[in-house]
Amino acid sequence: MKRPLVILAVFYCLGIILAGLTRINFWIITSLASAVFAAVILWGRKNWIFLVLVLFLALLTGYLSMRNSWVLSNCHIRKFVAYKDSSRYCLNGVIASQPEFKNNHLWFILRACQIQSDKLRYKCCGEVLVKMDFEQELNYGDSLTLMGNLVPPPSFGRSQSYRDFLARQGIYLTMSIKDHRQIIRQDKFNGVGLIRGCFRLRAYLEQVISRNLPPIPASILAAMVLGQKRNIPWLVNNSMVKSGTVHILVVSGFNVGIVALMINLLLKILRFPRKTRIILTAICLLIYCVITGATNPVIRATVMGLVFLAAYLLKSQPDIYNSLVSAALFILLINPRQLFDIGFQLSFMSVLAIVYFYPKLKVLVHLELCRIKILKFIAEGCLVSFSAWLGTLVIIALNFRIISPITVLANILIVPLATLITLCGFTLVLSGLVYPDLANLFSLPTAALITLLLNINAALIQLPFAYIYF
Amino acid sequence: MFNFTPEERKVTLFLLGLALCGLVLNNLVKVNCRIESMVYPPIQLAKLNLNKVNLAELVATNCVSMELARRILEYRNSRKELSSLEELKEVKGIGDQRYEKLKELFFVE
Repeated sequence: MKRPLVILAVFYCLGIILAGLTRINFWIITSLASAVFAAVILWGRKNWIFLVLVLFLALLTGYLSMRNSWVLSNCHIRKFVAYKDSSRYCLNGVIASQPEFKNNHLWFILRACQIQSDKLRYKCCGEVLVKMDFEQELNYGDSLTLMGNLVPPPSFGRSQSYRDFLARQGIYLTMSIKDHRQIIRQDKFNGVGLIRGCFRLRAYLEQVISRNLPPIPASILAAMVLGQKRNIPWLVNNSMVKSGTVHILVVSGFNVGIVALMINLLLKILRFPRKTRIILTAICLLIYCVITGATNPVIRATVMGLVFLAAYLLKSQPDIYNSLVSAALFILLINPRQLFDIGFQLSFMSVLAIVYFYPKLKVLVHLELCRIKILKFIAEGCLVSFSAWLGTLVIIALNFRIISPITVLANILIVPLATLITLCGFTLVLSGLVYPDLANLFSLPTAALITLLLNINAALIQLPFAYIYF
Repeated sequence: MFNFTPEERKVTLFLLGLALCGLVLNNLVKVNCRIESMVYPPIQLAKLNLNKVNLAELVATNCVSMELARRILEYRNSRKELSSLEELKEVKGIGDQRYEKLKELFFVE
């Protein structure tokens, strides 16, 4: 078997899906898995029996891991709060995310450690989404005492998607803070120093961007370089959804690749030895992953990048399928519910489709016969866009109820521009870090490119049958 | 002379090209203020003009209900056009909080 990890991952995912469809007792499956495990050890000498048993074991592991993710520990905060509970709670905890001001509210995740109702205090665990109606200077790692009602997230009519989305992140409760008296900040830092450093660096880089660019280009660049989408105007986001180019507004494998390339090149110019260069690049990738919020596409790209760097270090040839699957398994072993997340599905399906369809399409259209370099480059771009579109078509149609025939053309025009903008963005941000006035030099070309991108996108969606809602 | 590798050469050229573009644009913006409007994106690309928006576009923002969208359009039509976004506060159902949200989506021209 050429790629055993791929087959194992497929069966693991099937187990997760099966757990979502059936309700078999956890302990029955555990006994079955133990029996299969024993069978692998006892009768695993014959190759085909070993293979069948291992695949079955992977399926059962997926099932068990999904079922286990539904079970909350006894001290979980959700267990202290009854359904439609209107009592006031006093909650002690630590801020687990960088607070963000969005839609006139300050949002953050609080990792709870103690809950008090009436005069009874309990130790607890779990996370709560906190919404504050006023601005206050809060940071990751700050210890807080909050007072208020704990309620499940809203479900917006019949749609459960927001509640499900939060449940996939392990959040089952929200708390709304309307008054300064509901919050007490303790002068104690309880987070990880490195993560706090990363968040501070992100805040500083955001400042560099907003100092050098007007609000619209700044919001787009912050999304493309730092993964901060909160300031993107609704119209920009919506028009990019229509043209199927909204993926350029999130940090993805492309950005991680650029970071790796830039760091590697910089270290090469500074004449660092090969091994040190690879190790430092890997560390920078991990830091960039934290800075951008460690979303699924970034984790996927970071794990893939680390696999490639490891292969480069060991001077062996990396296999793209194995690196993609190891990234998927890394995410799913930590949280199997991510399999049902649209971001996860789109991120992996687009890469898988490019890796699988692109070489086949290239052979099909006899691209190697093309002698004109520029034409070949454009044709390659078309095929990559078409492959990604093919891979994500069903997921997008089912979830967003939109089909965008303009996507392929839009991506051919917009992706090269986005590449250039990202490169300019990184140059602007890094020069701003070194010498703030230097960033000003790079701001005008960046703004001009963003304006061009927005104009092209706006023109494309005006074309007849550019997008169809159904 | 510098003994650059091909990658280093590309990076150096990119940085120099970008800096050159930056200088030229900087100079053009100073000389001709029209250039500035070409470099920076116009507001029409990021916000909807409330004086030209129709019912479907208003509802598609998911910020107002069908009922409120109708009221906004009735108010706009009764005045021919709005002169400032603050006039929206006079529409029944638009408080400070909703106005802040609408301010991020619309402009008046």
